[in-house]
Amino acid sequence: MTAHITATAASSPVTRTVPRGLIPASVVLGGTLISLIGLTWDIQWHSDVGPDTFFTLPHLFLYAGSAISGLASLAVVLLTTANSKRDKEVDPVVGGRAVGVFGRTFAAPVGYLVSGIGAALFLVYGLWDQWWHGLYGFDAVIDSPPHIGLLLSISITMVGAVMIFAVARDQNWGTYGVAGAAATLLAFSMVTVLGLRALPGGLVNTVNAGSAFFSVMILFMGAYVLKRRGGALAVGVVVAALQALFWWFSPWATEVYADATGLPLRDYADGIPGLPNMIPMSLILVAVAVELLHKLPAWLVGAVGGVIITACAPLQRMFVYGSNFPAIDRFLATVVAGAVLGALAGMLGRRFGHMLRHLAPAKDNSHA
Amino acid sequence: MRRTLLGLAGTVALLLGLTAPALAFEPVNVVHTEKVQAGPYDLTIGFSTWPVKAMQSLDFTFAPEDGITGKTGTLTMFYNGAEDDDGPLARHPRKREVWGLDIHAMPAPGTWTMRFDINGPAGAGTGELKNLQVMEQPGPPMGLSWAISTIPLFGLIALIVIAWRRTRATVD
Repeated sequence: MTAHITATAASSPVTRTVPRGLIPASVVLGGTLISLIGLTWDIQWHSDVGPDTFFTLPHLFLYAGSAISGLASLAVVLLTTANSKRDKEVDPVVGGRAVGVFGRTFAAPVGYLVSGIGAALFLVYGLWDQWWHGLYGFDAVIDSPPHIGLLLSISITMVGAVMIFAVARDQNWGTYGVAGAAATLLAFSMVTVLGLRALPGGLVNTVNAGSAFFSVMILFMGAYVLKRRGGALAVGVVVAALQALFWWFSPWATEVYADATGLPLRDYADGIPGLPNMIPMSLILVAVAVELLHKLPAWLVGAVGGVIITACAPLQRMFVYGSNFPAIDRFLATVVAGAVLGALAGMLGRRFGHMLRHLAPAKDNSHA
Repeated sequence: MRRTLLGLAGTVALLLGLTAPALAFEPVNVVHTEKVQAGPYDLTIGFSTWPVKAMQSLDFTFAPEDGITGKTGTLTMFYNGAEDDDGPLARHPRKREVWGLDIHAMPAPGTWTMRFDINGPAGAGTGELKNLQVMEQPGPPMGLSWAISTIPLFGLIALIVIAWRRTRATVD
């Protein structure tokens, strides 16, 4: 066996072992995952323990995630700029076609440009958040305006990650990466939608309706960019895996960190995982529906998805918290909003999937 | 871009260098107190900032005169006379000898009431801190704060509009 491998290696010494573009793409995706880990941990810390500084470990994960994704993006942009100035060939499989930034000062592959802008915005919104805390105190409110700005900045990096992998969708790593990056964006967006509490929704639960909209849209986007059977299911399964992993991780890491810093848990801390519980457990049903109903128009399947998510949200709350079923008029209004927003999300997600397919270099599409 | 690189490098250095010493948590500094008689229990309500402003977070402490040992209770908040929120009285995470709310913000300006239902060795008692005046929120109007904070969202929408117009043909 050893001899065989050696012989193979010797006979083709120039074979690339790592596909071009995989390493920086993985670093950006890894950074976004670190951000997601930091967020689930931080939310749990605030609910179960409490005392806070700028430099808690969950906060460090949040900063490090954006820093890692941002530095990787910057490195790719600088390398692409250098290659372009030397008239060396720039392979568009690394983040897509290069576009000029500040005139032609920089040549930035569009996927890395977006992920890098997200990371740079994170720094700017970090300053806005610091100013906010100086004025309003060290509030632990997840949906304050600067926090939503920070979450949106990280989401832009995550959109960039989806773009980076979508470029390589004809290769296995691109396919898996799209599923992973879209699932990360979807899970993260379930926290960002808490900002919708600031909107007057009347009878409608704006957060549930918003969760339905974004989860259906991102699921469709992943399915249509991959454009193969099982695409939606792949995204749904990765989201469910992240949800299951964080269900265990968030309370565990919080308790371990509290022990390590000598802090007690709050009285009456319920230990229920905060972020994982914001992700609709019914998403996997929506993914199955998208697979089974793929011949129906996207708006119709999207509406079905929106109804599933908004109708199951109170069931999830009852299952996890033992809370009561909401007032029936509020429930029905939210389901109707879920249907309408789900239909819109289905159409938008389908279109976004098509847009992402345009990022790939024009050549044969083995998975199409 | 180089500034960004320097900024990021500085951030990483700060993260790695300042973590350990910075993990000291702020003590709870009570700057104003109010008294509430809840049946047989004398309760002192402490505020870490005064006056209270909407959306500005502060530490609240709720201290029975002879300590919290052997006592339980519930705090119910009323906003302009209507019940807003309730929950069990829990120890303050940074001042464990008393009950409290840590870095808690009153969400809206107006007149608030805090009702305390306490059970203990001397029996049950109820008392209220009435007419807690919460002033207008500090800082810019919320509309402006939200406008600044959602710039990334509108940037993303602009990117989508540009991409939408350039990708009308379907790619197989």
